[in-house]
Order: sequence, then structure tokens, then C-alpha cells
Amino acid sequence: MADDSFDLVGCLERVRRSDQVACRQLVEHLYPLVIRIVRSHLPRRVAEEDLAQDIFLKMFTRLGQYQGSVPFPHWVSRIAVTTCIDQLRAQKRRPEFRWADLSETEAEVLDNVLTDERDTLPGDAMAARELVYKLLDQLKPDDRLVIQLLDLEQMTIAEISARTGWNQTLVKVRAFRARRKLQKLFQELEKKEKS
Amino acid sequence: MNQFDRQWRKLTTKAREAGHDLEAAAPRGFAAQVVARSAVAPTMPPWMPFEYFAWRGLAVAAAFGVVAVASNFTGWATSTQTDAFSAADTVGELLELS
Repeated sequence: MADDSFDLVGCLERVRRSDQVACRQLVEHLYPLVIRIVRSHLPRRVAEEDLAQDIFLKMFTRLGQYQGSVPFPHWVSRIAVTTCIDQLRAQKRRPEFRWADLSETEAEVLDNVLTDERDTLPGDAMAARELVYKLLDQLKPDDRLVIQLLDLEQMTIAEISARTGWNQTLVKVRAFRARRKLQKLFQELEKKEKS
Repeated sequence: MNQFDRQWRKLTTKAREAGHDLEAAAPRGFAAQVVARSAVAPTMPPWMPFEYFAWRGLAVAAAFGVVAVASNFTGWATSTQTDAFSAADTVGELLELS
């Protein structure tokens, strides 16, 4: 969040008294946090603004349930994460990952990943990111989220646990399951490439 | 580190180089729009999740009830049929004796 001097407690008090100005200030204060989560876990064909609006609406409608046991931004980030996961669940996953689904640059990146023995990967970073997202689309939403936070955002298990509300063992289990699925996917892609 | 781990690490390292979109301030009018929508949205009271779980619990209990009745009903039907046959047999035996 950009503004560290923001009086969150005072603002929440005023929000509870239905102060419209405080409500707007709260949305503006939390927007960077929410939009970062939305952008990281945005399902295909969903506008980020719409999803962000849904998250803030849930925040306001459930405000009575907030007991203060966790910091308010953590509570909001959990709403954001569950809303994104619900959206990902609602959309149908592709039954099979195919080379034909990739753009030319993405296919080139994947080819380099599978064949190039060097530690650093040549090629386009944007294409690599798109490719990673396409591979992650093959995972269950919960597993996808864990891998994304671990490997792309480089969060620790404890940080993921705080953001999602899942215990650390569950996070580890989901990471293990996701990596196994990705490994299988890589093996299939290698086979298809060789044949 | 196995082959997959090495490949995946290479790919994600490259993907991270793309970075994130840094523009993060709320667009003009976004907050006002959200607040206007939330004003008409019904608020969820603190006990609402319990209500939700209570309905689910009730549905599960009802399902168990139906299964229990169905399984026991089959038992009753079988025992009634057995009783009818045994009664017939008894009458038959009595007739034969007489």
C-alpha cells in the first residue's frame, strides 16, 4: 500500500458508521493490494475491474464479520484470493495442453526449456510469462494459486499461509501436487516434441 | 534437483523478468462506483456463515434420513413377505394335519 500514514482503524470506524467518504478512502487505500492479487490470479475472459469491484463489494457486505483477529489487509486479501479462486473454478479448464495452442514465441520458449541445457533461458520474458500462465491453467485453482505465489511471486510458505488462510501443511501438499502435475505435463510435451 | 525442477526454475525465472504492471492506483470514479453499489447491496450479518452451514447440515441430515428409511423399508418389506409365507405355511401344515 502506498500510503503508510493512512489511519486504517479510524477509517474503519467511520465506514462502520456508513461514512461514504471513508468508504471511498478505504477502497482507494486497499486498491493496490487487491488489484495486485487480481492481476496475479485473473481468469481468462474476466475484466480485472469487474473482479476488483466484486471483491470490494464482498468486503463491505461482510464487514460485520471482521473481528480484528488478523490485520485488515490480510482479511481483505483472503476475500480477494477466494473470489479469484471461485472465478477460476467457474471457468472450464482446457482438457489438454497442446503445442498448437501456443504462439510462435511461446512455442520457442517452451522448446528452449525442454532442449536447452544452459541454466539461463534465452528468448522473450513476456512470452515466458504467458507460457507459465497457460501451463498453470491446467492445474486446479487452489494448486495453481500456491505455485504462482511460490514460484512467480517468490513468497514463503508462511506468507502464502497468511494470505490464503490455509495452514502451512496444506500449502506444502498443494505445492507438491501441483509440481507433480506440471512434471507430468512436461513429460507429455517432451514426448510430443520428440515424436 | 531433477530435470523437471531445473526446467521449471528456468522458465519461472524468465517469466519473472517480465515483471508486473506497476500502475496500481484506482481509476477515476472506481471507489465512488463501488461505494454506490455497496450502498444498495444487502449487508451480511456476522451469523450468516453459521446459517449457511446450518442449511448444509440440514440437507445432509435429510439425505441420511432418506437413506436410513429406504434401507429399513426394504428390511420391513422382506420381513412382511417372510411373515406372510410363514403364516401360509403354518395354515397349510395345520390343514395337512387335520
